[in-house]
Amino acid sequence: MDMVLEADRLGKRYGSTWALRDCSLHVPAGRIAALVGPNGAGKSTLLHLAVGLLKPDAGAVRVFGRSPYGDTEGLADIGFVAQDTPLYRDFTAAELVIAGGRLNRRWDAALARTRLAQLGIPPDRPVGKLSGGQRAQVALALALAKQPRLLLLDEPVASLDPLARPEFLQSLMGSVADSGTTVLLSSHLLADLERVCDYLIVLNAAQVQLAGAVDDLVAGHRQLIGPRHDGGAIGGVAAVVRASHTDRQSTLLVQTDGPITDPAWTVREVSLEDVVLAHLADGATQTSHSEWGVPA
Amino acid sequence: MIEFVLDSRSKVNTYMQLVQQVKQALRVGLLVPGDQLPKVRDVAQSLAINPNTVLKAYRQLEIEGLVGGRPGVGTFVQRTLAGASLPNQAELREDLVAWLHRAQAAGLTAEDVVALVETTLRATLADDAPQKEPA
Amino acid sequence: MIWLTWRQHRKQAFFTLLGFAVLAALMVPIGLSMRHSFADLGLAECVRKLNDTNAAAATRDGCDAAFHRFTNRYGSLNLVAVLLLTLPMLVGLFWGAPLVAREVEHGTHRFVWTQGVGRTRWALVKFGLVGAAVVVLAVGYGLGMSWWVDPLTQAAQEGRLGLIVFDLQGVVPIGYTLFAVALGIFAGTVWKRMLPAMGITLAGFIGVRAAVEILARPHYQPARTLTFPIEGAGEPQTERGGWILAQGVRNPDGTMVAEDTRIQCPPGGKGPEGRVCGAELGIEPGAYNWQLYQPADRFWLFQGIETGVFVALALILLYLAVRRVRRIA
Repeated sequence: MDMVLEADRLGKRYGSTWALRDCSLHVPAGRIAALVGPNGAGKSTLLHLAVGLLKPDAGAVRVFGRSPYGDTEGLADIGFVAQDTPLYRDFTAAELVIAGGRLNRRWDAALARTRLAQLGIPPDRPVGKLSGGQRAQVALALALAKQPRLLLLDEPVASLDPLARPEFLQSLMGSVADSGTTVLLSSHLLADLERVCDYLIVLNAAQVQLAGAVDDLVAGHRQLIGPRHDGGAIGGVAAVVRASHTDRQSTLLVQTDGPITDPAWTVREVSLEDVVLAHLADGATQTSHSEWGVPA
Repeated sequence: MIEFVLDSRSKVNTYMQLVQQVKQALRVGLLVPGDQLPKVRDVAQSLAINPNTVLKAYRQLEIEGLVGGRPGVGTFVQRTLAGASLPNQAELREDLVAWLHRAQAAGLTAEDVVALVETTLRATLADDAPQKEPA
Repeated sequence: MIWLTWRQHRKQAFFTLLGFAVLAALMVPIGLSMRHSFADLGLAECVRKLNDTNAAAATRDGCDAAFHRFTNRYGSLNLVAVLLLTLPMLVGLFWGAPLVAREVEHGTHRFVWTQGVGRTRWALVKFGLVGAAVVVLAVGYGLGMSWWVDPLTQAAQEGRLGLIVFDLQGVVPIGYTLFAVALGIFAGTVWKRMLPAMGITLAGFIGVRAAVEILARPHYQPARTLTFPIEGAGEPQTERGGWILAQGVRNPDGTMVAEDTRIQCPPGGKGPEGRVCGAELGIEPGAYNWQLYQPADRFWLFQGIETGVFVALALILLYLAVRRVRRIA
């Protein structure tokens, strides 16, 4: 499969804290990949590394096989919408379209104008006076006018009101269907992106917790309910992600590597959200235990 | 043309919901051979879902022989699921309406009716199932 | 890129030009009236005569009186001149500091640096255009001020090398303005917020300017010394327009008896109670007046050196700023 973005033991440090560490992942072409994790997990850092705003302190990141830091030519293939969709607030949308044309060699101004016209965005009002949703749409239209092969969106819906959220995702999905662009978008809430993504990367505490195609992830996890379990091997289970026990019963969320045939277990299918929460909760408790200096 | 609707509370994943809705429409005669399914782009945009999900659903329907894609034009219904039952449906519907009026007169609420239909349906199908399987 | 820079800063440019126009509207009439008075009092003639060291004592006295009248009328303008000194700093505060800091504060650097223009090129074009505009502004300011303060400095004993007037005219404003802008830009790349960047620019500019002015400028060239006896008829033959760095009265063996003063006694004159001239200061016979100064004809040399120093500082800061821009995310 063609990889659009590859990270190999990628690390970025601010002072002595690692914002991202030992991060190895890839995003295959044609996917809409969600980058999910709590605030401060390193999502923005990963996206900034991918768009060349940051220079890696360890490992490497490649986009279309090129190292993005300082690579102006490679930038032409990447569309980026930063968090809170920063734009020059005193510029009008029409002026921003012109500015984009001056700043990019490949620029489809007609596409941007058509999109903005469809969305009913006034061309002659400063974007600072538009609503958050409209501003996000302007930022998206500008990113798409580059005709990028990879679109990176940093928390695109976080700052939008509940009405603007689906509208933004609608227009994003429509344009992705048109262009076939690979997309990597981040959110601290999976629910925002669950229907949108077909590839998922879960970041937590500067590290990749989980990555893969959504279908594979869901198919590769099961919930098992059965008699109290003390950690012995179960046929078909590759790893236990999360376990909770009562004195008689255990509920496990497991990664499978084959059919689970043991009749002692009731096997249930899980949703994507179950999988993500299990993996996130796992990391979170470990961290706080070590931070508080008590045994887990 | 039909319009897809997603049930956000459903545990059924998105692509299955699309497949089921098309089949439902075929069953009740809402879609007949020759009809065009909504364009992938339009579905993705209106539901804010991944276009690949729509493609996957359409591919599934194609594999089942219900629809066929014409490159550059769209996806069209090839076969109906209504089958022979469709002409009978009008009559059955009339019976059902009459029955519902009786149920209402007997003091059943809408919820009571649904519960009654569901339990009866399950029981009846369970009785029929063992007989069907060997065949 | 050029279009973007223009679009981003056109409002600011408009207000800057408006400010300069208002300033010019205020200053030009004052300058013209100063020149009229200068001519009416016959001061131009005086300056020419006084530069001839053999000028008659009568001419001196007459001219001094005229200079006095001129200074009385216009001397308070020296205060205005002090205010004008802050202009290069203001340009640094409002053009330099926000250039990068504002982008980072609003997050727009993430927009503009991820378009098809690399951020090094962004920085070079932006710094270059703003720098060029600032140089044009500074040239106008320097020429205008040279014209404006000319009568004031001619009337003053100290001349163009004096502490404030030197800084106002000629080419040094170019150096100062460029330096202020570069300092602002650099501060913006380090502190990344407008207010701290402006604060640092303010403090840094004043600090460096004061340091150069007090510590470095007097030593651009070896200063000259002038000695003349404490007893003698008429004015001593000091040079007009020189920049006096230090003066005092020294004993014959060279020891300083009284700093920042000079003694002028008529030949053989006695002080109160019949003492020898200056005896109350404890001077010995043969003591002399001593003066350390930079001669007036070094004005353009000093202007060149000072401008060079600040332009060099500006270039270093801009280089560092470009390097830092590459590290901001």
